[in-house]
Order: sequence, then structure tokens, then C-alpha cells
Amino acid sequence: MRHALPSDELARDDRFVRNSFMARAGDPRVAAMPAEKRNQRFPLSPERADGPDAARALMHGIFTGEIQALEGAGRTCWDFPIGPGADEAPFELKLDMARQCWDEARHCEISVKLGDWMGTDIGEYAESVFLYEAACNPDPVLRLTGVNRALEGLAIDVFNTMREFGVKSGDPMLEFCEDWMLADEVTHVKMGSDWLRRLTADDPERRARALEFQRVVDKLFSIGGARGEEDDSPIRLARRFRELAGFKTEEIDEIAELSAEARRELASYQDHKAAKQAAAAAGKA
Amino acid sequence: MAATVTPETFTMVLFDQPTIVAEVERIAGLVGVPAGDAIQVTVDEAVPVARAHLASIDPIVLEVDGGAFEDPRHPRQLSLSAVGDTVGRLLLQALDRRDPAFGDVPADDDLSLAHRVAWDVYAVGRLNRLGLQAQRQRRVYGFRNRHGFTDVSDEAFARLWDGSGLIWADITRLSDDAAAVRTG
Repeated sequence: MRHALPSDELARDDRFVRNSFMARAGDPRVAAMPAEKRNQRFPLSPERADGPDAARALMHGIFTGEIQALEGAGRTCWDFPIGPGADEAPFELKLDMARQCWDEARHCEISVKLGDWMGTDIGEYAESVFLYEAACNPDPVLRLTGVNRALEGLAIDVFNTMREFGVKSGDPMLEFCEDWMLADEVTHVKMGSDWLRRLTADDPERRARALEFQRVVDKLFSIGGARGEEDDSPIRLARRFRELAGFKTEEIDEIAELSAEARRELASYQDHKAAKQAAAAAGKA
Repeated sequence: MAATVTPETFTMVLFDQPTIVAEVERIAGLVGVPAGDAIQVTVDEAVPVARAHLASIDPIVLEVDGGAFEDPRHPRQLSLSAVGDTVGRLLLQALDRRDPAFGDVPADDDLSLAHRVAWDVYAVGRLNRLGLQAQRQRRVYGFRNRHGFTDVSDEAFARLWDGSGLIWADITRLSDDAAAVRTG
């Protein structure tokens, strides 16, 4: 039996174009901006001139994320033999993952319909496969912390942000669909929290490894700190829904701090890159 | 007409200046910019957002952030349909502003978001009829965001999209009537 499918073998038709995280991080334009512009953030809101287009782009990102969440949960059903070991998965966990596949498949269909509603074609924006890649860990507990707790947790924040966008703009379709999908995400995160506790009850070392993996994923995919609690955070950390999903207050505080740290690190990296670009330009002159 | 596009060489994005010049001239001919007119397009390649505005109508000067010409599927690469959409819309609005019969349009900075979006719909609808690729449903969504998700709003959209010979007063009336239902 094959464990994990490489992300470049995921089935996609020719409408989809893939973009790597590194290609975006290496974009020379970011460093070329003046520092005050570079570090500027705007909450997603209908009042923004580009608000509807920003919401369309985010919705497309949600759509591709749903496809990968389906693929990741499906792999967890398939990749591990049934059993209690570190490279095995209990039957009940596989049942939960099968239920999650059902939810994610429904979310894909809802996302396609929302794309139609908002005027976005499938494949209009590039896809990055970071969600699926986090679902390739050989330890099922680490998959659950990386995907169900970290990335589905990010999905809670994103869906809540989109739901609020729908409320503010008076878009009944967006508000309704995001609210329903948000409810499912809370369940998925709770599944991750519950299985983490059950599978590591007698193995504190494995639990620590899993939580460390979650922290790495949380920080890496706070999107350079775009998800956070600051006034200008484009994606708001949804505390209330995270509590419903089984996060303790101190865990949510930690995610907020990780996001703020990611933002500081990104700004410092970009400042460094800008200084290098300026020095190179001065050298040429 | 002759178009000039600056910079001549792009260093941060993979845009080809002669390709943009040719597309601007093609679009200008299509929308009816008089043959003797010069068009200047200044691209700020360092800015990856999709902003663009009309800096002057005589001569026609367009100031464009690089993101407005960029392919969202292939970062840093040129999208001819984005050039067509952005330049075509701004050129039609330049011609509207020049036309005394169209009426006085406030300066860009004084336009409300709702009026601006309504005028954009009128411009892109005309581009669509000229055969340029237009994302009708995307424009519907943007219009509904500014004017409400109502039947009145959709009807106003259709009249702007399918309209010809509209004047500024028609555009603002359609926009205001739709927005009034939303807030009423």
C-alpha cells in the first residue's frame, strides 16, 4: 500500500494552474515597495474599492483548499492500516475522516456555485497546494494537528471573515453558505482536537511532537501574519468559533502571537531584501 | 493614434512593452479614439495591485499599477485580456468626459464608489459589445455589492450593461435609485 501521494500527482484538469509558495515569496515587487506601503494591510471589507474582487480571489482559494481537504482526508482513510500503533489509525478515526470527505465534497460543490455567483471561473486564480502537503505527514496524529487543528482552524477564521463580508455587503447567498460551511469546519477542528487527546493520552512525547507540528503549520500558514487580531488584519482570528472547536483560550492566544511573530518576520525579511535590492541598484549606477 | 508606454523595459514583471503598445493602439482604434490623438500609459511595475486611473483626458494619460495588467493565474506575467479590460474601460471614460453632451463628471477623487462602479459597468458593457472579453457576472457581483442584492439593482445593472448613448445623469440616476432601495 502506498503511503501519501506526492502533491504533483494530484488529479487536476487543464483549467488549474499551480503556483508555489516560494514563487510568491520571491516576488521582487514586494521588496521594491516603500516600507510603509509594503507593511500596509487592509481588512477584507465591501468598503474597499477592490473588496468584491478580493472576496472573489479568497473564495477561489477556499475552493481549491476544499479540494485538497477532501484529498487529504481521503488519504488518511486509505494510507494507514487499522490499529493503535503510531503508523496505524483506529477504525473510528477513519470513519470520522470519511465523514469529513463527505463534508469537503459538499463544500467543493458549494464553492463552485459561490464562484458562479461571484463571477469567478474555475482556475481563474493559481492554486497552491500547501494544505494537501500538510496532510502528507506519515504519523496520523500529526496529520490531524497539521490539517484539522491548524489548517481547518485557519478555515474557521477565513469562513468567518467571508461570512462577515456577506453580512456587511448584504449578500444573502454568501452569508448563508459560509455560515453552513463554518459549522462543518468547527466539527472538523473538534475531531482533530478529540483525536489528538485520545491517541496521545499515554504518549506525551508524541503529543508534544504533534503540537509542535501544529505550531509550525499555524505560523507558516498565518499567511505572513495576514490572519491575526490586529485592526488591519485581512483575516480575523475567530475566537468564539475556535472555542466551540475545542481550543483553549491560551491556545488561541498562542496562535495570535504566532501570527504576529510571522508578520514581524515577514516585514524584517522584506526590509532585508529591499536593502539588498537598493544596494544592488546603487552598485549598478 | 500613437501610444507610448513607459517603462520601455520592465525589470520586476515579465511584461513586453511593444506588446502592450500594440494592444493599447488596437483597443484605442476599437473604442473610437480619434486617429490623431496620442495616448500615454505609465505602468508602475512595482505595485502588484489592480489599480488604474485616468490622469488626463487631453492628451489621454493612463496611470496603471502593474497588477492591473497581470495574469492572476501566472504572477508577474502579462494578461492581454486584463490590458484590454483596463485600457478599454479608461479610454471609453476619457471619451465620455470629453463629450460635452455626456455632462459634467466630478473629478475621480470626488466620485462615490457606487457611481464609479455604475460607470464602469456602462463602459465594460460597451467593450463587451465591441467583442472584448468581459466578465459579466463579476461586474454583476461588484454592482450588487455597491447597490444591493435586489431586483431593482439587477435591473439597473442590465440597463447600464446593455445601454448606449447614456449620459452622466442617467448613470447616477440608475445608481442612486438602486442604492435607495437597498437602504430604504
